[in-house]
Amino acid sequence: MTDKRRRFEAQVLSHLDAAYRFARWLSSAPGHADDVVQDAVLRAFRGFDAFQGGDARSWLFAIVRNCHVTAMTQQQRRAWAPLDSEEFVAPQPGPEEDALQRDASSTVARLLAALPAEHREVLVLREFDEMSYGDIARVLDIPIGTVMSRLARARSALKAIAASTPGVFP
Amino acid sequence: MNCTEVLRVHAYFDGELDANEAASLEQHLGGCAGCQALLADLERTREALRRAPRTRAPAHLRARIDALLDSEAAESRSRVWRARPFWWGAFAGLVTSAAAVLLFMFVLLPAASAPLVDELFAAHLRSLSGDHLISMISSDQHTVKPWFAGRADVSPTVADFAARGFPLAGGRVDELSGRRSAVMVYRHGAHVINVFAWPDDALALPRTTSRRGYRLLFWRIGDVAYCAVSDAAWSELGTLEDLVRAQGAAEQHSAPR
Repeated sequence: MTDKRRRFEAQVLSHLDAAYRFARWLSSAPGHADDVVQDAVLRAFRGFDAFQGGDARSWLFAIVRNCHVTAMTQQQRRAWAPLDSEEFVAPQPGPEEDALQRDASSTVARLLAALPAEHREVLVLREFDEMSYGDIARVLDIPIGTVMSRLARARSALKAIAASTPGVFP
Repeated sequence: MNCTEVLRVHAYFDGELDANEAASLEQHLGGCAGCQALLADLERTREALRRAPRTRAPAHLRARIDALLDSEAAESRSRVWRARPFWWGAFAGLVTSAAAVLLFMFVLLPAASAPLVDELFAAHLRSLSGDHLISMISSDQHTVKPWFAGRADVSPTVADFAARGFPLAGGRVDELSGRRSAVMVYRHGAHVINVFAWPDDALALPRTTSRRGYRLLFWRIGDVAYCAVSDAAWSELGTLEDLVRAQGAAEQHSAPR
């Protein structure tokens, strides 16, 4: 294994699970996360020499998101009518999760799925990936101030949806 | 929840405030029932969200990625000319060009725009520091636009937007990466906004970026690239962009066909 490959595995591929989860939240169309993550990892590997250091996870996430946006644009261009961007199916839990967790998690997933993509991604990055505002800004390519206000809007939107689904948030 | 501290409560909850700010917010929390309730709400929501399971990348995806990276490495190791049928070579050539274009687009181009951003920022600072801000003082677009002819490399969209809060103060010419860019100077309240215009050479530009608190907003009209630089708010720069675009579109329509 080359030295570049070893460094890439340690710094970037260690975030593969997280990147995959993020891609699943971006779109749950079948196979989409697989394609997007595979494409992103390859691009990341090719561009790894130019990676200046810093946070490898947000760097990889930003590439994943770019690949997702590119894939969506191509899909829209191929289709006669634009796809409904809000068309989103909640990720299916794997067999390894027990029924109880599946219950709670699918409710959470449904709630998040009901949010606009812009709100969903900022919430996922903050609450699941526990990213700082700076890292989120890097992934979404927006100023930190926008992260802050968008996150606040996303949280109140989620709360509004949860309010109409009793029993989710105690 | 109409308290002005709402955003700071979110930032506090996310651990984004420094010790001083956190202390001042905690003091505020003591006296604001609304913010206390918000904080409790945020905690409950986070707790519920984090119950979601953490899916892992499927094994087949890992395997595919491993194989891809292996073949990438093998390709770069054995880049030796071998006798191959013509079509194989042509195909490989196409694939390599495509990869090179992708690499160029995603890795090199963004880096290439960084010096330009530095230049724009430096030009903006320079214009504020001395008397170089305006060479041609006029709020009349019919005076400023012809003044650029022969002085700058583009004929930019210029208009006085005083009615919309962006009066035109004048113009000047700044050198930008060896080209003579037209600079329109607008005022907005106490803010000065420099709008640079130069021939678009298809360099990948960021949509927005900032340098030391100054904001840079880029757009393109036809084959002219524009960048507004100012300490004014993003929304105000966006409004000016819209005004310039609308003006550009109006000029396009009145042009003879």
